[in-house]
Formats: sequence, structure tokens, C-alpha cells
Amino acid sequence: MANASNTVSGSLAHSALTTRSGTRRRLDSFLSDLGVRIGLAIFVVWTLAPVAWMVISSLLTPVSLTSLPPDLSPGQFTWMNYQGVLATGQSLLPAMRNSLIVSALTTSIALALGSAAAYAIARLETPGGNRLAVMVLATQMFPGIVIIIPLFIVLSRLGLIDTYAGLVLVYLSFVLPIVIWIMKGFFEAIPPDLERAAAIDGATTWQTFTRIVLPISLPPLFAAGIFAFIESWNEFMFAIVLTRLQTKTAPIAISEFAGQYQTAVGQMVAAATLASVPIIALALVFRSYILKGFAEGAIKG
Amino acid sequence: MLVAPALLMLVAVIGYPIVRSVLLSFQDARLTAGAIGTAWIGLENYQKLPGDEAFSIALRNSAFFTVCEVILVVGIAMITAMFLNTPQGRKPFFTTILLIPWVIAPVANAVLWKWILHANYGVLNAIVVELGISQRPINWLGTPESALRMLLLADVWKSIPFIALMLLAGMQNIPNYLYKAARLDGANAWQQFRFVTLPGLRTPLALAVILQTIWSFKVFDLIFVLTKAGPADGTLLLNFLAYRVSFNFLDFGYGAAIANVIFLIMFVLALVFIKVLKPGRPRSRVQPIG
Repeated sequence: MANASNTVSGSLAHSALTTRSGTRRRLDSFLSDLGVRIGLAIFVVWTLAPVAWMVISSLLTPVSLTSLPPDLSPGQFTWMNYQGVLATGQSLLPAMRNSLIVSALTTSIALALGSAAAYAIARLETPGGNRLAVMVLATQMFPGIVIIIPLFIVLSRLGLIDTYAGLVLVYLSFVLPIVIWIMKGFFEAIPPDLERAAAIDGATTWQTFTRIVLPISLPPLFAAGIFAFIESWNEFMFAIVLTRLQTKTAPIAISEFAGQYQTAVGQMVAAATLASVPIIALALVFRSYILKGFAEGAIKG
Repeated sequence: MLVAPALLMLVAVIGYPIVRSVLLSFQDARLTAGAIGTAWIGLENYQKLPGDEAFSIALRNSAFFTVCEVILVVGIAMITAMFLNTPQGRKPFFTTILLIPWVIAPVANAVLWKWILHANYGVLNAIVVELGISQRPINWLGTPESALRMLLLADVWKSIPFIALMLLAGMQNIPNYLYKAARLDGANAWQQFRFVTLPGLRTPLALAVILQTIWSFKVFDLIFVLTKAGPADGTLLLNFLAYRVSFNFLDFGYGAAIANVIFLIMFVLALVFIKVLKPGRPRSRVQPIG
């Protein structure tokens, strides 16, 4: 009898304990879920708010922009800042065209030269191939200012200041290493059997490279090309040293809106927004390539 | 020779300029009357450095900027990556929006913050006044100390995405069974982070610190648009000083000397980091717990 009551109270106590720890666990997981959600919300606001504010501001009238707090009533939204920025005589559109030309040229040349070099480093017994690869990576370390001072002197002697050729040449200094590095990683991962089969069939190295290797390398070539294009489109310091009026690029035009038209805040943010649209669109459309690039970069280190 | 064209190109646009830059720094190379005169002056350009007020200001600012930037970016990126590595955070939406700050031009970023920080009508002032933190709008870029911190804010915001994506990719490479094993051994959340996540992230973390240090030294566009190194050289960093000496004062020899000092600092820092952080030994150091 005493024994039985003991067991009953014991099991009661036990079940009370489990339900209490059960609710406790549920509460804990609810709190941690809530914590993660709040953290993610802060992350989204912190990441998007500055850009969102730039885009909204570019659509507001000067009256709205110069009131504190800003007047966000629907009547204040307008296209006038964009019309102002795109008006004839403004430098933004020609500058965006220059940026497109320079970035496209730089990207194509870098892909052509870089993929061949990467293949040689990855596959063929290039003397000192490994050391070459490390040197290519080390070029990322050079502060641009080290190379731009001598290059400015040389290019002005050659008469290449304010030309596409001069700018593309200098841009290759930082775009080519990116391309070589991305492509080298990819070529190393291709199983060599394919190329061996081609060699047995009597293909030369060049034929193997252009007919067998390149056609299966389109996705990484594409990824490398996107990285190369973005870097060239955004570059500022080399452009401000090497361009004048003819080949002024989009970043230079934006900085001019930020400088001389200090009062026209609306035009300043509209110019920045407009020049960012193509590059943001590019990144969002091809986000899977870019994100994959990050993942692979981290694996290889 | 498939490698030859690319190699020649790199020698022409990197190798040759570096050699020239070293030579230039031993010369008196100024632009006068449309021509650059050059005369060998030995170490004179380097001897000028310690006595140059602007150089010591830039050195101090760069040190402050780089240390803060690396700590803030890597720290916040780490927290961001951990949130994105949770079941709720693993949606593609979150990694996609991270691409936006990363991809916009540094110049556009500068414009964005110039407007946010505007002394009269900036949205940051609207928030600060509205919340009663300050009675009047604050001139964020008006004093040297404040301006340097605002520059830091703008650059940290732009730099976080790349590092966060890198660390996130690293975290996703850590096999799940390591966490399960750690939990079986009774490890709490902090211990799992300390003994599984951190060792697993060794290589990406080391890379993050090295890359972010290098990039902090390269900041240029932000200064050019936001402050032009002012007020009172309060936002003058070494990189901008080398540019100003070369292309505003047209003293290419002295500019090259400053540029070489930057390169030397970056080189030494990278070597130290590689020695201390030892990247490239993934996961061999997962320690037994308990």
C-alpha cells in the first residue's frame, strides 16, 4: 500500500517534470526562432534601407528633399530628376556608353588571354606554373596607386591618355588575374580522360583546348566574365587619372554630379541610381553564378 | 605557349610599373612646363616622409581606419553568416539581397551616404532629431573625428556582403555530423561555435582578414566624393595622400615613395597574417571536446 502510493506519486512527479521541461523546451525554441527572425529582419533593413532610400530620393521633388523629415506624400513623386540627368548636354549617358565599351572590351580580352593562360597553368607542364599562379594572386595585393603613377607617365608619353586603349590596358591589370584564378580552379577539376582521348585521336594542344575544353567551360567563363565586367564598370581611381572628356566613365560622371551640382541632390542620387541599375540587374539575373563563385572560392581558399 | 600573351600583358601593366615605381621613388620627378624632369636624388623622397605632417596624419588615420574596418566587417559578417546559416535564414532571398551593396559602384555608395549624412536634410539627421537624440541636425562630416567614423560606416556597410558570403560558404562546408557529435558530447551553443565552427572556418576567416586589410588600404572613391580628405586632413588615408601628391601636386617621385610604403605595409601585414592564421589547413584541427 505504502509502496503503491509511493509509485503513484513518483510517477506523478515524473510526469510533472517532463511536461515542465517540455514547455520549457518549446518556449526555448520559440524564443530562439523569434531571435533568429528579429536578427534576419534587422539584417534585411540594414542591407536594403540605404539603397532603397537612394532610389526613393531620386523620385522626389526638391521641395520634398529639403524638408525635415522628408515629405513622402504621393504628390511629391516625380521623374524630373531623371529627366534632368538625361537631358542633352549632361555627361551621364555618354559616360555610361564609355563604361559599356571599356568594360566589354576589357572583359573579352581578359577572357581570351586569361582562359588560355589558366589552362596552361592548370594542365600543361608550364615551368614554374605553381609559382606563376601564386604571383597572379599576389597581384591583387598591389595597391593600384603603385602602378598608376608610372603607367600615367608612360601612357601620356604614348599619347594614350583619354583613349579606350589606355584604359582597357590598365584595367587588364586587375581583371586578368581574376579571370586566370577562376578559370584555373575550374580547369583543374576537369577529369583529364577527355583530353587524353583527344590526344590519342591526334589533336594538338590548341585543338584540344579550343574544341574540347572551352565548349564545356562556358559556365565558369560566364561567371569570370561577370566578375570582370562588374569590376571594370565600377572602377574609379584609374579612370579619374587616365580619362578627360572623351572617355569619361560612369563613376566619374556620378562623382561630378556629387561635386559641382551640390544643390541638386535629386539629380545626384538619380545619376547614381541610373548608373547602378545595369550592374545590379546583371548581378541579380546571374546571381547563381556569382554565389557559386563565392562558394567555390571559399572551398579552395 | 598559351600562357605567353597573358603573361606579357601582366608584365607590361604590373611588372614594369612596379619596377618603374621603385626607380621613380629615388628620383626627383615633377611635372613642370608639360615635361617630367627626372634627376636621381637617392633616398631623399623617403627621408622627407618622417618630417611630413600630412604623412604622419595619413599613417595614423589609415591605422585607425584599417583596424576598425577589419574588426567591424569580419565581426558583423560573421554574425550575418550565422543568421543566414539557420533553417529560417537559408532562403535564397537573403543571399540575393546581399549582392546589392556588394555590386554597386563605390562611387554610387559614396553618393548614397553623402545624401544620408547630409548636414541639413539627411535622413540620418531626420531620425536623430525625430528620436530626440539631438535637438539640431548634426554635421556628420564637419569634424575630423566624426567624418572619419562616417567614412568607416559607409565602407563597412559596403564591405560586409562579400566577407559574409565567403564565411557563409565556409560554414556550409562544415559537415553536419561534427555538430551532432558535439551535441552528443553535451556541447552548448557557444562550445559548438568555439570548437566546431571556428576551427572549420580557419581558412575563410584568415582569407577574410587578409583581403579586408588589403581593401581597407585601397579605399579611395569614398574619400574623393565624401570629404576630399577633409576637414583638416581628418579623413586623409595613405592611398589618397599618394594620389594627391602625384596628381594634384604633380610630384611623382614623392608620390611613388608613399605608394611604395603602402605596398610595403600591406606586404608585411599579409605575411604576418599568413604566419599567424595559417590558412589552408582545413579542419585538421577539430579538437576533441571535454
